[in-house]
Amino acid sequence: MTTKGAASPWRDPVALLAVPAVLYLLVVYAFPLLWLFMKSLTGPTGLTVQPYVSFLSDPFNWRIVGNTLRVAGWVTLVCFLIGYPAAFALARAGALLQIVMLVSIILPLSIGAVVKAFAWQIVLRRDGVVAQLLVGVGIWDEPQRLLFTETGLVLGAANIFLPFMILPIYSVVKLINPRLSEAGATLGATPLYRFTHVTLPLTLPGVVSGVAFVFSMSVSMFVIPSLLIGDRFQTLSTLMGRSFLLMRNEQLGSTTAVILLVLAVSIVVGSTWLARRLGGSAT
Amino acid sequence: MTSDSFLDVAGAEKSFGGVTVLGGVDLEVAAGEFISLLGPSGCGKTTLLRIVAGLLAADRGTIRLDGEEIGARPPHRRDVGVVFQNYALFPHLTVAENIAFGLKARKHPAGEIGPTVRRFLSLVRLTDFADRSVRALSGGQQQRVAVARALAVKPKLLLLDEPFSALDRKLRENMQIELRRLLRELGITAVFVTHDQDEALTMSDRIAVMNRGAIEQLAEPATIYRSPATAFVLEFVGLSSRLNGTVVGQDHDHVIVDTAFGPLRAAGSFVTGAPVVLAVRPERIKVNTGGDYALVARLRDAVFQGSKVQLHFEAKDGDHLMVETADLSDGLPPPGTEMRLSWAVADTLIYPAS
Repeated sequence: MTTKGAASPWRDPVALLAVPAVLYLLVVYAFPLLWLFMKSLTGPTGLTVQPYVSFLSDPFNWRIVGNTLRVAGWVTLVCFLIGYPAAFALARAGALLQIVMLVSIILPLSIGAVVKAFAWQIVLRRDGVVAQLLVGVGIWDEPQRLLFTETGLVLGAANIFLPFMILPIYSVVKLINPRLSEAGATLGATPLYRFTHVTLPLTLPGVVSGVAFVFSMSVSMFVIPSLLIGDRFQTLSTLMGRSFLLMRNEQLGSTTAVILLVLAVSIVVGSTWLARRLGGSAT
Repeated sequence: MTSDSFLDVAGAEKSFGGVTVLGGVDLEVAAGEFISLLGPSGCGKTTLLRIVAGLLAADRGTIRLDGEEIGARPPHRRDVGVVFQNYALFPHLTVAENIAFGLKARKHPAGEIGPTVRRFLSLVRLTDFADRSVRALSGGQQQRVAVARALAVKPKLLLLDEPFSALDRKLRENMQIELRRLLRELGITAVFVTHDQDEALTMSDRIAVMNRGAIEQLAEPATIYRSPATAFVLEFVGLSSRLNGTVVGQDHDHVIVDTAFGPLRAAGSFVTGAPVVLAVRPERIKVNTGGDYALVARLRDAVFQGSKVQLHFEAKDGDHLMVETADLSDGLPPPGTEMRLSWAVADTLIYPAS
């Protein structure tokens, strides 16, 4: 099995298939990113790290970072708690039901986030469905407004990003042999032990990609918080948007963008690394 | 319900969507015994195994193991180990971790787990593979891990679901002997599911031949082979010459049957005119020996099989006439040769025609 592995990627023609994607990403993504990065480091008198120093020394900005990470964390957690069992239901459902469920998960992706966020505005109003339901069930004494609250934002964003949690977990669950859990049972393992020692480690790769998807999308969401919580609640994305669009402060905008990127990438990479360590060689 | 049986399945019934897969099966297994459930696919043998393991709930019936009713217990509280058809090893764990899984799940003290794992690794001769990923093992090695994993928790009963079906023939024969030795050494009671009659004949203390959700015969291998209880058992286990005929007369405790090769005798009691099948195991038939012979037949084909030769003779539709002989002194006779075939009346089996 050593003969193939030693081949140089340059001599393997399959590597050429990635060329269009690499070129495209270079032009529309890597170069603009580099430009943005340079912009954040360029002051009136040349190269400077002053924008970063002043950004990080302002406690107001730390609150914004906190807002961003807290909301993204909650959205990811809610998506995981709902999406993980849903992925199992999907993977173990009969053929016809599975198609129906898949369509009902994928089809909403074709509706833009703006439309869905507007729909959530209606749902989260004081006289909206959620408030009426909670009053009807008796959890609330009188209807309250969820719109323009953090809870409302998390609820709406989790709904919009949920498919990105379900689908990667589903694709991993489908590959797991159902006999494995049975084997655990005949060895004397309780259902809980089977879950924590067989099912969870084996589904970890799917969980890692689902979490990476949802977290990176919710840490950088812009339209959804604008519509569901408004300008009072600042995140790194909304700050970045305001800097470019309203304040015309390109330096603050690009500095915020770079900080957001570094935060998001390091959290996603870090949690992936942690999960792989905890789960052993689960891939 | 006899008290000395270690496993006692009584009246086990199961149907899926109106289709009966198991129709009231009784099975008693003594402690330390090795029983095979032998039958074609769809006969209900795997269903019975899954019911005993607790992986499937029976519609009706009781299961007693070591004096306790276990029918209502979940699988993890039954003390019944299973070796699955495709082994179902945990792909994220090493060989040693797979074997340790049950011990850890049962919260054995850590100081006990290491020695037990090492003991079972050496029992299945995988000591050098302890830290390998199970995905890096060959089929035979995976099978041994599955056996060691199931036995390490010292189950009261071991169930094996066609554990050799994925192995090639040579390896399979070695593994059969090895498994048998291991189970004997540990004194484990085992129920073994297979559709391979050779496997069942070589390994079992007793064989339960299953057909359409019922046990047709439960007996020692030699009894199953020499005196099959039903025409199904005869056909499923081993080869046989079979001639259709009609009973034309009774002579003391024998009947005379009219066949395409003339009248033949067999021990039994049937009413005159009854359609029957006569059968003889092919190695019980002698070719061209002196003395009284039963019939003359024309050779259709001779098949050389190493230690023996199979001779197939011309027969009418529905009949099947074949002989196995080890005597090759005259070389393979050419097709068309007329030969005299004879056998003892005691070797003649008779069944009502189905």
